[in-house]
Amino acid sequence: GMAEAEAAGDAGLGPAAAQDGAELAAVIGATVPTGFEQTAAEEVREKLGSASRISKDRGKIYFEVPARSLPQVHRLRSVDNLFVVVQEFKDYQFKENKEDALKDLEDLVKTLPWTDPLKVWELNNSLKKKKTKRKKHNLQSPASRGKLSDAGEEGGADQNNTNDQEDCAQNPVAMEPTGGQDKENPQGVTSRNGVEEEEEDNEQSEVKAEVQASSESGSKADEGQTGEGEAKVLRFRVTCNRAGDKHSFTSNEAARDFGGAVQEHFQWKADMTHFDVEVLLNIHSNEVVVGIALTEESLHRRNITHFGPTTLRSTLAYGMLRLCDPQPTDIIVDPMCGTGAIPIEGAAEWPCCYHIAGDNNPQAVKRAANNISSLLRKNESKDSSTALGVPLDVIQWDICRLPLRTGSVDIVVTDMPFGKRIGSKKKNWDLYPACLMEMGRICTPGTGRAVLLTQDKKCFAKALSRVGHIWRRAQTVWVNVGGLHAAVYLLRRTSEPAQDTRPFW
Amino acid sequence: MKLLTHNLLSSHVPGLRPGGGFPLRIELGRPSELPPEPSPGYEADEEFLRRLHHVLLEVEVLEGSLQCPDSGRRFPISRGVPNLLLSEDEA
Repeated sequence: GMAEAEAAGDAGLGPAAAQDGAELAAVIGATVPTGFEQTAAEEVREKLGSASRISKDRGKIYFEVPARSLPQVHRLRSVDNLFVVVQEFKDYQFKENKEDALKDLEDLVKTLPWTDPLKVWELNNSLKKKKTKRKKHNLQSPASRGKLSDAGEEGGADQNNTNDQEDCAQNPVAMEPTGGQDKENPQGVTSRNGVEEEEEDNEQSEVKAEVQASSESGSKADEGQTGEGEAKVLRFRVTCNRAGDKHSFTSNEAARDFGGAVQEHFQWKADMTHFDVEVLLNIHSNEVVVGIALTEESLHRRNITHFGPTTLRSTLAYGMLRLCDPQPTDIIVDPMCGTGAIPIEGAAEWPCCYHIAGDNNPQAVKRAANNISSLLRKNESKDSSTALGVPLDVIQWDICRLPLRTGSVDIVVTDMPFGKRIGSKKKNWDLYPACLMEMGRICTPGTGRAVLLTQDKKCFAKALSRVGHIWRRAQTVWVNVGGLHAAVYLLRRTSEPAQDTRPFW
Repeated sequence: MKLLTHNLLSSHVPGLRPGGGFPLRIELGRPSELPPEPSPGYEADEEFLRRLHHVLLEVEVLEGSLQCPDSGRRFPISRGVPNLLLSEDEA
């Protein structure tokens, strides 16, 4: 039977199993930008028809879909990474003693219902293979979008993640050191959408631990990570995320011991860098979730091929855009677009709106224009007959003196300069009020709205208080951007008409 | 730069009359392919709409300039991107 086959080292998988897999109901876990769990849940409801559970472990949602819907799941725009749930424990009782607690985790392995999730994993693999075989990149395909050409790096991220190795191995382009997951700073201050901030004694470390039972020197020489499980022994690794203050063990230890038991149970081979199966062990206080990863690279950078120093994740850009509820024919402007992450995501997902990107920096403008050309090329190869124009333009301009007609724009969405990453806090003090005034002028009174991301919350609040006759704060989403605590503000334009003469500060 | 974008742009050279600076004159050297005014009932004219859509969204100005109708100040368009920055002393 299945159990023996698994124990014997062959996961009992093959093409026949992949077909069964399609009929299964899979419980999928998705990591999303913290703060945008609700937005992601709405996208899941809209595109997959499933309801989501939002976990206490921030930045994760869970939903159930038939495994055959996996291709649509991969096309979700608000999701960074995906995994299939093996089992969830809502209230796992950890023993106080470290050895006992770890032994419990080891013993857990053989009791878990691995069979169906592994079928889903296998099905997912066959999807991935199809995608990478296609030469022409499909705009929709996250796996191919994940492979990026060159560029800059993400600078200035205050990361608490000490383990970068795994990321280097997976991602040849230097990206966010976290490899995609939100990281909280060591003080562990967390907060949810506008609700009061709670202090949580929280040790969160993402550690890829190698199983000590086998040594790895040989495995790196292996090539051909084919994932054709039947004949070959599968390679795996365990990734543990642990948060909460009552555990007697570290994520390192949990990953190591859990991994040891996994190796014992399946007779798979442990390999940190070239693995077929990534087992996830997520521990958040008493909530434990065991899963198998379905994505290997972050989906964030999917539309961006030319980076700048502070390129925004496209999943965050998507969340911000969704927040302002774009309607067909809306004019959407990003007046400080940087490399264009937001307008590019906008044009891809809301093609019935018109998107304008602008920046004063010539490098940024050039990169944004290049990213748009890449997008155009992708579109062309997909659909050779009609090269439909992408509803997106780039302009070089000054945010304080926008060359746009008064009241001509429906939505302003932008990533405001953070004092720490670009510019300076002092500059923001002068810049923010000027921005808000100009954005207010170009935005349609009554129906216009703005979604603004900033880390300089104090400065923003002060600037906003001066323009209360033009902007009303409608919603605040607390987010984490490259390790920095930031906020996304949804503002609504009041009915007060803007003056046509540009204000001077 | 697409024509639809041009429809939203206005010159922000300081000191213009109220409502001034629009529309910017596109300097290209190529005549428009559309009639100067839409004929009545254009909403139902499929052929016209198709040409309008094409010229608004699918035609790009790659090189040229935009001229402020009031001040005469020219803003260059290069590789499809208009540069509407004013210099320090202009602003």
